[in-house]
Amino acid sequence: MALALAGAALMAGAAAVAGALAGDRRSLVIEAAVPGIAAAAAVVLAVAAGMTLVVDRRRRRAESELRAEVSEEAAVEHRRFLARLDHELKNPVTAIRVAVAASDVESPQLATIDAQTARLSRLVGDLRKLSELQTSELERSRVSVGALVTDVVDAIRDAFGRDVSVTLPAAPWPLPDVTGDPDLLFVALFNVVANAAKYSEPGDVVEIRGDEQRGLVVLDVADTGRGIPADEVDTVFDELARGSNARDRAGSGLGLALVRTIVHRHGGDVAITSRQGHGTRVRVELPAAAV
Amino acid sequence: MTSSPPRLLLVDDESSITDGLAPFLARSGFDVRVAADGQQAWERIAEWHPDILVSDVMMPVLDGRELVRRLRATGDTTPTILLTRVGESGERSAALDEGADDYLNKPFDPQELVARARAVLRRVAAGAAPLMSSQTLVAEGLRLDRPARRVWRDSDEVSLTPKAFQLLEYLMTRPGEVHARERLLSALWGFDFATHTRAVDHRVAELRAALGDDAAAPRYLETVAGVGYRFCATVSRA
Repeated sequence: MALALAGAALMAGAAAVAGALAGDRRSLVIEAAVPGIAAAAAVVLAVAAGMTLVVDRRRRRAESELRAEVSEEAAVEHRRFLARLDHELKNPVTAIRVAVAASDVESPQLATIDAQTARLSRLVGDLRKLSELQTSELERSRVSVGALVTDVVDAIRDAFGRDVSVTLPAAPWPLPDVTGDPDLLFVALFNVVANAAKYSEPGDVVEIRGDEQRGLVVLDVADTGRGIPADEVDTVFDELARGSNARDRAGSGLGLALVRTIVHRHGGDVAITSRQGHGTRVRVELPAAAV
Repeated sequence: MTSSPPRLLLVDDESSITDGLAPFLARSGFDVRVAADGQQAWERIAEWHPDILVSDVMMPVLDGRELVRRLRATGDTTPTILLTRVGESGERSAALDEGADDYLNKPFDPQELVARARAVLRRVAAGAAPLMSSQTLVAEGLRLDRPARRVWRDSDEVSLTPKAFQLLEYLMTRPGEVHARERLLSALWGFDFATHTRAVDHRVAELRAALGDDAAAPRYLETVAGVGYRFCATVSRA
């Protein structure tokens, strides 16, 4: 009996690991950590099963601890990967830029190499920034959401020549402030709205709507643009992910990864809803500052 | 122009970089020599006395940060550009602790390195170089205490966010130079892409409000139309 329970628990443990893995798209990063964790899980769960009849409760707790451990380890390993990538890319990219600058000949090919290497340089810089942001200390100022939105709308007009329609509540009171780094929050919202502008046509609608729900400030950025293919919606927040219908627009594939990192570091969340050919809505939720 | 070109010692263990960078710098008007690590650089400096040092940070034997620390410890003030970012070591006042005169993050634009090297040399020629290693900077009633991260205007302490302090420190240690917004964003915020330079304008506005500086008739922070900002008051060490 105990043996059967232990066996069942072991399988459940393995299933939990598999579930956690399926939930995380960075399978390459996680695979290395699996055997050790799976073994540990098996031991933990088997012991729990053999000991008592309150197997279920303990198993559930063990599973959730395991899941937390897997995702924490994956996050640490992912940060290390970004740091290694930065380290391994910066010298070769510098060498190419320098070699191009030192060349005497002028040719369209060389100009292309120069432009593309400059682009690669920025990409390396932003990958580094992304990895730093996951652990760096954040400024904690009070940020007015209204001012933030106004700022972003001005910057979008400046950068894309597009107008954004904004609906923020004025009654019964305006949106509460949020707490955080004003520059990073600007970068996050700017990126979301810039995507809406980039992947829609001049006649399309781009809206920002604000709301307050259960202690959260909710900002919806919606557009009637081209949308994201259904099977790609889940991966758009990953580093370097670019929609298959987004290739005609310049982009690094880092914008939404940056958005996600910044929003998470502020204790918030971001989600995307999209229908190809109809439009996209990105919902950013941030904890409201205490009044 | 003086008759002899400034002597520049380039220190990097990556020959793929020095092979191209040395001739490029030579063509840009420098007399260039190369060292492959900090120890070699240490020896070259003693025998050759370069006017400026451009050094990578991560190197075998003796790294770039340690090289600058050792030089400064012996009273050697050879101006130095480190090929990394300000404060990348995690210290809040890394620039001051290390004694480097400027920073440039890899991968960099080689033209930008030339511009920085020239700016550093100009600063030295103008006698402004000691600003970079000063604990306290003063300019027309403004007083910036770098280790304490505090600012006073006349006798009143001014409250600044950490980023605004960093920006003021950066501009005050490089007075009279025009800094492009993009450059400031990259050097102080670490953003090269995926954003807008508005963050810079905001911190300048914060500084102006805190310092009581009028954008139309600036005492400290001047807007250079279409480019960026310049600290326009004369700065000296306290």
